[in-house]
Amino acid sequence: MSNILISVKVNGTEREVLVEPEDRLIDVLRDDFGLKSPKEGCGTGDCGLCTVIMDGKPILSCITPAFQARGREIVTLEGLNNDPLMKNIETSFRDHHAAQCGFCTPAMEIMGYDLLKKVKKPSKEEVKVAISGTLCRCTGYYDIIDSIYDVGGTE
Amino acid sequence: MSVSVESYITDLQKKAERGELLYIGKSLKRIDDLEKVLGSPIYTNDLIPRNTLYAKLVLSKYPHAWIRSLNVSAAASHPGVHLILTYMDVPGINESAAIVPDRPLFAHEKVRSTGDIIAAVVAEKEIRAMEARELVKVEYDPIKPVFDPIEAMGADAPKIHEGGNVAKHIRVAKGNIEAGFNDADIIVENTYRTQFQDAVSMETETAFAIPRDGRILIMGSMQSPHNTQASVAKVLGWPLENVEVIQAVTGGAFGPKSDETPGDVASIAALGALKTGKPVLMSMSRRESMIAHTKRHPSIIKHRTGVKSDGTLTASKVEIYLNGGAYASLGVLVIVRATFHANGPYEIPNVLNDGYKVYTNDTYAGSFRGFGAPQAIFAAESQMDEIARKLNMDPLDLRLMNMLRPGKRTSTGQLMDDSCGLPECVDAVVKSSDYRKKASEYSNQGGKLRRGIGIALLHHGNALGPEGNDYAYVHLSVDKKGRVHLGTGLTEYGTGAISGLAQIASSVLGVPVEYFVIDRPDTDRHKESGPTVASRVTAIGGNASRNAALKLRDRAIAVASKLLECPLSKVKIVDGYAFSEDNPEKMVSWDEIAREAHDASVDLNVIGYYMAPRCSWDDSTGLGSPYNQYTFGAAIAEVEVDIDTGLFKILNYHVAFDVGRAINPKNVIGQIYGGSVQGIGYGIMEELVHINGQVINPNLKDYYIPTSMDIPDKMTPIIVEKQGAMGIYGAKVIAEPPVVLPAPAIRNAILNATGGSVNDLPVTSEKVYKALKH
Repeated sequence: MSNILISVKVNGTEREVLVEPEDRLIDVLRDDFGLKSPKEGCGTGDCGLCTVIMDGKPILSCITPAFQARGREIVTLEGLNNDPLMKNIETSFRDHHAAQCGFCTPAMEIMGYDLLKKVKKPSKEEVKVAISGTLCRCTGYYDIIDSIYDVGGTE
Repeated sequence: MSVSVESYITDLQKKAERGELLYIGKSLKRIDDLEKVLGSPIYTNDLIPRNTLYAKLVLSKYPHAWIRSLNVSAAASHPGVHLILTYMDVPGINESAAIVPDRPLFAHEKVRSTGDIIAAVVAEKEIRAMEARELVKVEYDPIKPVFDPIEAMGADAPKIHEGGNVAKHIRVAKGNIEAGFNDADIIVENTYRTQFQDAVSMETETAFAIPRDGRILIMGSMQSPHNTQASVAKVLGWPLENVEVIQAVTGGAFGPKSDETPGDVASIAALGALKTGKPVLMSMSRRESMIAHTKRHPSIIKHRTGVKSDGTLTASKVEIYLNGGAYASLGVLVIVRATFHANGPYEIPNVLNDGYKVYTNDTYAGSFRGFGAPQAIFAAESQMDEIARKLNMDPLDLRLMNMLRPGKRTSTGQLMDDSCGLPECVDAVVKSSDYRKKASEYSNQGGKLRRGIGIALLHHGNALGPEGNDYAYVHLSVDKKGRVHLGTGLTEYGTGAISGLAQIASSVLGVPVEYFVIDRPDTDRHKESGPTVASRVTAIGGNASRNAALKLRDRAIAVASKLLECPLSKVKIVDGYAFSEDNPEKMVSWDEIAREAHDASVDLNVIGYYMAPRCSWDDSTGLGSPYNQYTFGAAIAEVEVDIDTGLFKILNYHVAFDVGRAINPKNVIGQIYGGSVQGIGYGIMEELVHINGQVINPNLKDYYIPTSMDIPDKMTPIIVEKQGAMGIYGAKVIAEPPVVLPAPAIRNAILNATGGSVNDLPVTSEKVYKALKH
């Protein structure tokens, strides 16, 4: 199989990486770039835990071929840890005890971030809709919804 | 002295008066969640070395068959493949079973379910392993399978194991059942059925192994590292001490990670690592996990209840048939808990319960949050509403008349003491939901949309009870900087319970929780503390943590008394400062105590131990007091049903638990929210479907767990505190009970709204529609 050299901007840095056609974006991010915040919860695009931001939109990195990231910009939670809005979200998650096992937390925070970038002060219903494609098995969602909701309007 | 210093000292003295309870009952932040919110690499699959090989499973194609031949040569020569593991590669004992030695790690001669592992392919990339496993050639001679547990008990049923298909039978017998039925005015008989539920921890079962100087190091996602260590040692034929198991941060568990699967993945990783000399990761795909790990047992539960026309229960006869799938697992204990709780939280003078855990050729069932209680209480609480309906009585009144209170006895004959907070729980949800008003409003409805309100109660025996010795160790160790390292063989997998142990130690020690660091559970460093199951960490581990902190406090006080030049008996340590009662202005900080201890070589490493009192249970009489204390709970659900379609919506859910003492109320609420939503999934959505032994929906596209859109808009969790005799500071368990109540409460609300009884889970709209008797 022939490898493809792609360049991709990851968390603000231009990177080049050799990928095989079958490689998934999640594996390139985790194995080649060492970015472990995208998690694999299903591998079939159903749980949302592999969510990263590509060209400003949340995408599922487990069902995205790596070569599709060619020439694009990827942002993972690691790249947002110094962003003031994301810091507020992270603090709010801790205040609400919204990270139980923590496995869905990065994806939930990214979906919250994406929503709050678009809607300054979302309603709880809007928060629910925003995270509806991201599964959590520990919290029952209430504390996660409150975490994101409470950050609304603070910017 | 400035005013602020003076007020600070007064404040410290006030805190000193609260003593070791200083931080108890406070919703302190968890001390283990910073890395989680930052997305740091902390889980097993985040930590694998770069040259790791990947293992994938070959599972059985048949639910019941002889293996005629097994040929791995094509798979072994596939590009990138290093190794194929089969039963022939097991140097020790080819067994990966928890209690009953009935399950081989790798199938040999016979397969008993489609979850049986035939082989594991070890390759350089996961995809190469996945390609190669298709090349493993297995020829089968199918045997007649059996999937229904009652059929499997028949004399002519196919024999799945030598020794018959009943893995466990247990009986509870109280009073005289026939006399009880003779006393009754009416007898109500119903059969209830429940389904397979998958735990779907968001992280699947996973472990990697690294060979190391004649030993093996395993990191993995699991509840009980010492159990995993024992499993691996058995498979390798090695002494325990040559196997080191470290629990990585674990992305949810809910029971299956205390059962046999963590041993499977760790053993396969270890075998692969030893054969190749390289690190091997055995990480289950969601599909592998949903087929091969243990699930919640499906059940058939037959109720026959005698009741007087005033509502007094006189007799309850319950038969529980758990479909155990092909192996015993921890299911031989699940049936015990199910049978103890089968009549619900009521005093009934005459009881006869028979519980059977039965082998079938479905994939196997085992440990899962609630451990038999969700099935038992769904049936018992549905039966209560059926009785109320027959008597034309309000379901709440029927319950109030018969339920457990101080002075009443359970079905096993156990006397309820003052810590029975069931009446307070019922009171709380009745008020919170405005039950009386709504029940009367909803009794006369017309139109297409009908509302209903339903109630369900529970008692839940705490911790292991008759399931095993209920003990734990907690290690505390202070470093030069004053950080207190807390280690234990008990594990954290989401609940915050280990953070709670730190909160307890912190409160006893008088040192803020910010000083605490949680060590990764490690079999080389931490004493075996029993399994992390049965919601036991806070209640049992909390006592061990307190005992450790008491020892450590004594040593720290000795150091402080030298620094303060005052007698030992006068030293108080509060909020990170030590001072003499007689001279509170002079203080030394915890940091100074730690430094002094380090410099003077004072040993600040301690181990605390706790063992719960033995419980009584007598198999020969079917009576006993199997648990040291009980958690109690009550839930009320309100629904709206479209009677044209059966579609329904949960409008709100009120739920109260008597948790004895909430050590960290916010974490208790977290368990109530999370458990309730998992219970709603069980009640109305989730079903892992087996057809002829094949799991047809082992993925998250076809198996639905609740999303944020499926939860009730309003959930009202209520904490009741009636301190128990055993748990730390009176705490009772809370992780499991919340999953139990939604299914019966919602089912009963739908009955209230429509008059339709749905007696098999999940309560889907289709079943509601059919129950409406159009």
